[in-house]
Amino acid sequence: MAVTRRQFLVLGAGAMAGLTGCGSRSSLGGADQLSMWTWTGSVNDALIGEAEKAIPGGNGKQLSMTRIGGDYKTKVLTALAGKSMVPDIIGINDDVATYFPNADQFHDLHALGADKFKGDFLEWKWKLGITPENRMMAYPMDTGPTALFYRRDVFDKAGLPTEPQDVAAAAPDWDSYIQLGKKLKQAVPGSAITDNITSVYLYALAQLPQRYMTADGRYIGDGEHIRKAWELAIRVVKEGLSANAQEGSTDANAVVTNGRLVAFIGAVWWAQLGPKNAAPKTKGLWRVTPSPGGPGNRGGSFLAITKYCKDPEAAFAFISWLESSKNQAQSFLDPVLFPSTPASYTDPRLAAPDPFFGGQRIVDVFAESAKKYPGAYFSPYDSIINDPLKAELVNVEIGSKTSDQAWKDAQHQIDRELTRAGAI
Amino acid sequence: MRTEKVRTVVGHVVLMFGVLVSIFPFYWMLVMASNTTPDIFTYPPKLLIGSHLFENMGNVLDNIDFFGSMLITLFASLGVTVLVLFFDSLAAFAFAKYEFPGRNLLFGILLATFMIPSQLALVPQFVTLAEFGWIGSLKALIIPGAANAFGIFWMRQYAKGAIPDELISAAKVDGAGFFRQYLTVGLPVLRPGLAFLGIFTFINVWNDYLWPLIVMTDPNKLTLQVALQQLNGVYGTDYSMVMAGALMSVIPLIGVFLIGGRHFIADIAAGAMKF
Amino acid sequence: MAVSDAVRSTAAVTTTKDPGPDRPPSKFRQALPQYAAVSPFFILFAIFGAFPVFFSIWLSFHSWDGIGTMKWVGLEQYSYLLTDPTFWKSITNTLIIWVISTVPMLLLALVIANSLHNATRFRSFYRIAYFIPNITSVVAVTMVFGSIFSNNFGLLNAFLQSIGLDKIEWLSQPWGIKIAIASIVAWRWTGYNAIIFLAGLQAISSDIYEAAKMDGASPSQTFWRITVPLLRPVILFTAVTSTIGGLQIFTESQVLFGSSGAIGGPGDGGLTIVSYLYDNAFGSNQFGYGAAIGWALFILIVLFSIINWRLIGGNDDERITKRAARRVQRKIAAEQVAADKAGKEHADAH
Repeated sequence: MAVTRRQFLVLGAGAMAGLTGCGSRSSLGGADQLSMWTWTGSVNDALIGEAEKAIPGGNGKQLSMTRIGGDYKTKVLTALAGKSMVPDIIGINDDVATYFPNADQFHDLHALGADKFKGDFLEWKWKLGITPENRMMAYPMDTGPTALFYRRDVFDKAGLPTEPQDVAAAAPDWDSYIQLGKKLKQAVPGSAITDNITSVYLYALAQLPQRYMTADGRYIGDGEHIRKAWELAIRVVKEGLSANAQEGSTDANAVVTNGRLVAFIGAVWWAQLGPKNAAPKTKGLWRVTPSPGGPGNRGGSFLAITKYCKDPEAAFAFISWLESSKNQAQSFLDPVLFPSTPASYTDPRLAAPDPFFGGQRIVDVFAESAKKYPGAYFSPYDSIINDPLKAELVNVEIGSKTSDQAWKDAQHQIDRELTRAGAI
Repeated sequence: MRTEKVRTVVGHVVLMFGVLVSIFPFYWMLVMASNTTPDIFTYPPKLLIGSHLFENMGNVLDNIDFFGSMLITLFASLGVTVLVLFFDSLAAFAFAKYEFPGRNLLFGILLATFMIPSQLALVPQFVTLAEFGWIGSLKALIIPGAANAFGIFWMRQYAKGAIPDELISAAKVDGAGFFRQYLTVGLPVLRPGLAFLGIFTFINVWNDYLWPLIVMTDPNKLTLQVALQQLNGVYGTDYSMVMAGALMSVIPLIGVFLIGGRHFIADIAAGAMKF
Repeated sequence: MAVSDAVRSTAAVTTTKDPGPDRPPSKFRQALPQYAAVSPFFILFAIFGAFPVFFSIWLSFHSWDGIGTMKWVGLEQYSYLLTDPTFWKSITNTLIIWVISTVPMLLLALVIANSLHNATRFRSFYRIAYFIPNITSVVAVTMVFGSIFSNNFGLLNAFLQSIGLDKIEWLSQPWGIKIAIASIVAWRWTGYNAIIFLAGLQAISSDIYEAAKMDGASPSQTFWRITVPLLRPVILFTAVTSTIGGLQIFTESQVLFGSSGAIGGPGDGGLTIVSYLYDNAFGSNQFGYGAAIGWALFILIVLFSIINWRLIGGNDDERITKRAARRVQRKIAAEQVAADKAGKEHADAH
């Protein structure tokens, strides 16, 4: 009996020690490593490789980067709520304002000396990472000027204009672009000018000077400007010009690979995530030209340093190095990220002809778009407004709701969400 | 007699058709994993096994720490299995073979916990583990699952019939304490039941998805299932590689199963008949 | 039984306080090893089961993103939940997927088991082949099925086109999505259920079949009049396990649509209760709301457990319990319809 009891006591003590032993609260990765999370196509591999050996000016720290797939934001928020194994540095997309309510989870970059780089960046981009309380939560990466990507060979086959300036002249606005799409489809059956309804909507929205809220917190997502983008997206689908490949699905890659998507209004980074990754065999067949409907900006990211960071100074040294005008110019070559530092625009590397685009100097097109982009206010609630609109648009695309019904349902849902969030 | 024969043949035809349906997805996985992505994405699709299998598998190994994930998954599955076997059989032995005050009450509570779906407290469980500082560590996968009501219930049913009371009395006469009785009398008799519970637990942990998806936040410590989903999310444009990853992830368990599966199937069926 | 035990243990407690002159050491002291033996489960359950359950009640009265501070909101999460059409949709989706996977699955399993029972050769080969889908990971299987059902490069569409039919955009239509998910479930579990039915068949004495044969019963008569009724307990077991599994479907929709930003896919066609829970709790960090959804799931499972329990437990008076269960089910369905209608009207009114 005595033996038995002792054995149990040992066992119990072991179990309790395991249960109550508090885990470490430090960030992810080894003591001399700074961990970083980002997604595919958001950084230049050569630069990351360099930092993985040693971060320039980073107290001997090394970078350890991981690409997170799919539901990136879910993973980041879950890690923050998990309070351990949080990475030192995270990439944040253009929904940076949705992180503002939790800005205390990140280091204020003002305190780390960010202001001395302020003059290097586009002013509107720099401001997007600063909370209304003047806390600098995120540091600018790239921007996302938009343009029209198209397959020169298919346009040729369809008897349409083929050279960038001619295509731009033939499709200055969405109306003429849709007409062009119809001709394309007639000549080459199965052709599509968007992967799905959501893309049209989001890129039309990206051309507008206003989005869902005003800077003083008024909801305008039920306004005429949103409704117009909404109707436009539905029109493109009704004309049969969508490939019906849902956002983020394997199908969306497939329609690029198998050549159904022959034209697409997209942001600059799509060059890599779209054709370069999914259809490497189409090298030389693509061109870009100013987008129908005018300049726009979608995406373009930020970097933030979490409060768990082991060495904020080293982390800041890293992000300011990675986003210097010189290195942003390099990131334009691969993976086609458009610099947020105007000094990069005169870097000879940007002006290099891109063989994937038949030797075209694509920077000219995107720089033009970036220069003319009006800028728009992003509120912390943009995601919860955007999601119902997107979901209801899909309902129209798949034919389960009429446009009016879907619009009403979306607005109703947004109203509920905003009320719950205390925004209105 | 002839109709009997015809019926047998028809039976086999039906069964072989079922086998084809069972096997086909594996074949299709192999087809996609052995062709190139552009081949997969075109119409009409390639129906035959291609020649790029090893290239695609190599790409998987280049892009994710496949064997690292496999080790993590193996470690978690083995860890949970060993603990479950020990804790469950010990508790089942006590419940099945000993009278003690409150036994039925405790067993009743145990049965009542069956009713609680594991997802009910998903959020607070996560918060609890976050407070412990366990999120992202293997502890979060292993410890909460180290003993379970199903295993105890099942082992108790098994132990009741399998362990003769005389053996326990004899051990008591020999002066063996409870734990020694468990080791010398209980365990040997329970071994077949343990084999079943072990394989069952191992497979469940190996294939579990929702829980590791939430708690394994460290991208260097993903289980195979979550790593596979990540591979799809990050490198979705190279679909043939993703499929090679899927293929590689199902091979280990199928291999184990082909070796030890026959007994397991018999045990599963026997287990179902016990309810 | 539990009550009398509790009484007995309190009695025991009082007696230990007042040890009689010739009483042996307390029953509790003697039973210490047994308590220790059963304690790991109860300790783990207390920490990772019971505590979170109570915690989740408290949590569900709050608005909390898991990161910042908690805010007391009273019953708001529940009223939001009950008035959220998406929540009701997730329940109907789950039930539809469950029905269109379980019914064909169990019927097929019965046919397979019957054929297996009659086959004398290759039986262990068949059993292995039928069981393999069940041990294959849902993630990998879903990826394969996702590509079979794909709109643009799917095998199924290629097949339809090759026989001159139009292709169907399975993964863009709410019903197509449900069919895809149900086929994954059915593919993984048909063999498993067949094996269990087979065990049930083997337990039926062959004398009964001999007698039936003597009476000149046809094979189909034998099957429906003898085999199926005798298999009833086994069928109920498989029905119960399918119910529990069916109400918790998650992985399929998460793998198919998780990276699209809408976990349920187009039209939320694949949005199940658990994926609704995951999406709200971890996709948008509504921890308080997630806790409230957990309770809704709990109530649903209890409801179904009661139905199952009455079906199984009512051996002595089967017909009555069966009728009662049917009544409950009908009531649920009616409530469901009413709720749907109410939800729709609510939306319309707006």
